Amino acid sequence: MALLVAEHVGKTYVAGESRVAALTDVSLRIGAGEFVAIVGPSGCGKSTFLHLCGAMDRPSSGRVILDGQRLDTLSEEELTRLRRTRIGFVFQFFNLLPTLTLAENIALPLLLAGSPSEEALRRAGMLAERVGVSNRLDHQPQQLSGGELQRAAIARALVHAPVLMVADEPTGNLDSANGSNILELLRTMNRESGVTLLLATHAAEIAGAADRVVSLRDGLVESVRTRDIENSSNREEKRAAL
Amino acid sequence: MRLFRGFILRRLAQEPIRTGLSIVGIALGVAVVLAIQMANRSALEGFRAALDTMAGKTSLEVAGAGVGVDERTLASLGWLRKWGDVSPVVEGDAMALSATGRGEAVRVLGVDILKDQPFREYQLLHTASSGRGRRSMDVLNLLIESDAAIVTEAFARRRGLSIGGRLDLAIGDTIVPFVVRGILRNDGPARVVDGNFVLLDIAAAQLAFNRLGRVDRVDVRLADPALLDQAEQAIGRRLPAGLTVQRPARRGAQVEKMLAAFQFNLSALSMVALLVGLFLVYNTVATSVIARREEIGTLRALGTSRHNILGLFLAEAGALAAAGSAVGIPLGWGLAWGAVSLTSSTVTTLYVADAAQVPSLTWWQVAAAFGLALPLALASAAAPALEASRITPLDALRSSQAIAAAHRPRRSSLLIATGSFAAAFGFALLPAVNGLPVFGFLAALAIVFGQAFLVPSALGALSRRSRTVARALGIEGRLAHANLSNAIPRLSVSVAALAVSLAMLVAIAVMIGSFRETVVYWVNQTLQADLYIATARRSNLDSQATISPALEAAVRADRDIVAVDRFRSVTLPFKERLVVAGAGDFRVLLSHSTLVFKSPSDGRQAMRNAIGRDAVIVSEAFARRFGTKVGDMVRLPTPHGPHEFHVTAVYYDYSTDRGVVVMDLGTFARHFGDLPPTSLTIYLKPGTNADAVRERLLNRLGEAHRVFIHTNASLRREVLRIFDSTFAITYGLEAIAILVAILGVTGTLVTLIIERRRELAVLRLVGADLKQIRRMIVFESGFLGVVGQLFGLVSGFALALILIYVVNVQSFGWTIQFHVPLAFLVQSSLLIVVSTAFAGLYPARFAAGLRPVEEVGVE
Repeated sequence: MALLVAEHVGKTYVAGESRVAALTDVSLRIGAGEFVAIVGPSGCGKSTFLHLCGAMDRPSSGRVILDGQRLDTLSEEELTRLRRTRIGFVFQFFNLLPTLTLAENIALPLLLAGSPSEEALRRAGMLAERVGVSNRLDHQPQQLSGGELQRAAIARALVHAPVLMVADEPTGNLDSANGSNILELLRTMNRESGVTLLLATHAAEIAGAADRVVSLRDGLVESVRTRDIENSSNREEKRAAL
Repeated sequence: MRLFRGFILRRLAQEPIRTGLSIVGIALGVAVVLAIQMANRSALEGFRAALDTMAGKTSLEVAGAGVGVDERTLASLGWLRKWGDVSPVVEGDAMALSATGRGEAVRVLGVDILKDQPFREYQLLHTASSGRGRRSMDVLNLLIESDAAIVTEAFARRRGLSIGGRLDLAIGDTIVPFVVRGILRNDGPARVVDGNFVLLDIAAAQLAFNRLGRVDRVDVRLADPALLDQAEQAIGRRLPAGLTVQRPARRGAQVEKMLAAFQFNLSALSMVALLVGLFLVYNTVATSVIARREEIGTLRALGTSRHNILGLFLAEAGALAAAGSAVGIPLGWGLAWGAVSLTSSTVTTLYVADAAQVPSLTWWQVAAAFGLALPLALASAAAPALEASRITPLDALRSSQAIAAAHRPRRSSLLIATGSFAAAFGFALLPAVNGLPVFGFLAALAIVFGQAFLVPSALGALSRRSRTVARALGIEGRLAHANLSNAIPRLSVSVAALAVSLAMLVAIAVMIGSFRETVVYWVNQTLQADLYIATARRSNLDSQATISPALEAAVRADRDIVAVDRFRSVTLPFKERLVVAGAGDFRVLLSHSTLVFKSPSDGRQAMRNAIGRDAVIVSEAFARRFGTKVGDMVRLPTPHGPHEFHVTAVYYDYSTDRGVVVMDLGTFARHFGDLPPTSLTIYLKPGTNADAVRERLLNRLGEAHRVFIHTNASLRREVLRIFDSTFAITYGLEAIAILVAILGVTGTLVTLIIERRRELAVLRLVGADLKQIRRMIVFESGFLGVVGQLFGLVSGFALALILIYVVNVQSFGWTIQFHVPLAFLVQSSLLIVVSTAFAGLYPARFAAGLRPVEEVGVE
């Protein structure tokens, strides 16, 4: 059964007199635990599509259904609650809060949801262990490298056990070595925790790691390429990654 | 200019709330300073104008020592005429009673109209024979009858008086009926105190004021005005002992000196609101620089020079200051009306009778308001404007660099703070300058300055120690604490501004609380009599209105009265100032009253020793002002010439800061003659109901007398009522300063939100709901309120010590016992914290209105 369904989704931004159609008509079904990469040139609507799927925004037309729930009919508060419980975010610029320690940053979604702070920080510690930043828990974000920051951001995106992780250019602000490491981490998390991963990227090698690659152009789906996951070389690749 | 219009003015217009906050802040500051200046000026000018108008063309005046000029002496002053015209004058205050019995203060001038003609212009408008435009000579005919009075056109119109109408004047305790015989055009002395002027014949005035055989002064108009100096010296030399010659303006100068300390203190307090307003300018410009980093970078990339950027942001401050002043000037004029009524009640209560006048706005004041606000605004905007000019094109385009100012507090700021506190201590030890506590206020300023430099370090220390408290408030508290801790350099200015105004509030509350407690103690100790009789509601030591023999006789005849103290006071010039010389019955005082003595330890014995000798006791304010100690001699003017009096004791007195010299009635009578008393203090038989005696006395006196009889309890209430109304304006000034400071907190929070809008967006995206965002911001402003109040309390106590032990002592010469008004401080602290938390609601709404997707700026 599909975790995320987008049906004829369109989004038009109105700025004064002018109207800009960022998405025209996009339909897509993403299964639970799937890793889908959205690719396309700048301005093709990748981020807009991510915002709509990540309950950050509502479509102008069509509908988005996450885990059986229509997002376009939810109120602002309901969307917030949904993001807090079902969705994790990873951004290009990491976007950790500079005023909080790494542990607090990772635990943030749980703390916002009202979990007791000991429990939230314990879980943050576990996640930090998994992404490899457990020795940095008491540090402020300014004291960490880009790679470490993005690892922490991934931990934050997973700390509340979401069903969907939305990643917008997660390696876009990293050098290639760090970029590869983060990609591996994302794939690992995708496989291990079963979280559905929806990722927007410019980078071909990242897209290559996805189960399915959706190409957008001018707000429309240009092509969908599904990888043969039974392919033997890929199996090797997966093993290596694991 | 085009850049300024497009880049600065347009943006200011696009953000009406933030722009409005800054303009309101400056406007309030300018308004308060202007209002106090105008109120101060009006008090003096009201008096001076009255003095000038009443003096007319008088060149010199001959006056006696507090009791006027004896008519017998007058006869021997014929030689004065060789210098020019001479006119004896009786002048005094009376209440013009309306049909309902309500009184209106009027200035009464009694002159010999034939002699007075060269001095003052009297233009008759109407007379009984209905002639118009008559001259002074006609006035003579009108004043032939002893009950004839001439009033002004303005007064007649206001009171609905016409020729032949009855005018009741309450003079002293007696109601004297007059008949209006003429109406003066609003010219000459008729212009005085809004037309509240009554002209009498000198003999009628002497009778009405119970000054038979005496005139208040003799005015001299020199035939050759160029000989003023020469005439003053020659007349001075030839006058008999007890009489002095002076220029009319000297009375103005004496009043000016008397008011100087009071007005200086008010002006200093009014500056607090303006200073706090300038913190707002800093905030607004800083916000503008932060919010527009990228635009500044673009401008720089396109070739705008650093100087131009600096100029743009200074111009922003200038525009805000200009707009603030433009709004503040009319607002200040409006406030001045309120301030005049508040300060004039103080001025008239404590200093001079006819001070209050409607203030007028002069171009000079308009220029001064701009001249004060503009440079100060530019100075306060200098730091953020410089920061803007240092932005490079690359800096600005790297948005992650937005929080650039997160540097640690430097050790130098701690050093400056320590130096300022040391300077404050040093200033506090220096003496007054011309009776003004200049160094006292410099000490206070040094504390404020030191505090501003201490704030960053103290905030750092406080943030480390308060983490646990903040965490107890949930994730919002944790976030608020983390946000504030990270923004200490930005916050320091607003916290310092808030702390300054709160410190002033605490200091003033402690000072007034201490003063009030001291006065309550003094009143309880000193006011022991059962009844007090005076001719005015507020017993004014300056008042020359006296108790009539009829009233005194009626009082003495009462069966329940065991002792009566006749108190008489006169105003005397002493060392270029005016002091009060009072006379009381020391025997009665010793057996019934308990004055509180400062020195010697057995003041009562010293007082006893003063009976029958040329000895006086002096008030603490007198002792401090003139450096007088027990055992010193003071040389006072008397009708028989200057005379030395031995100072036997110094007593505490909070009724006036003028300085009071009190002698036994017998001593006073020997030197000043047997004058009618100005008030009576009455002691009753034990167990007598004072209210019943008061009622009985009032009934016996009937309609013919107008007198105020206070019981002990009502006088105590009255003293505290006057005390409270005197300080009402200080609280008003402080309330405005705090309002401006809270506006500053709001402005700072908006700055911080703009600075971290990306973080707020992330918070929203990872699941913070709008309530949580709002709560976080309100916690932040609440924290700022708590921190501001903490600083305010600490430095407020330091300022209170300066106000009580330096400023007050140097200005007024009073000893005030330190007292902490705990209940007030707890209440005001809670109020401040709650109001600053509420001030966070606007920034909270602003934060909640940000669109997270746009701020994170993915893609």
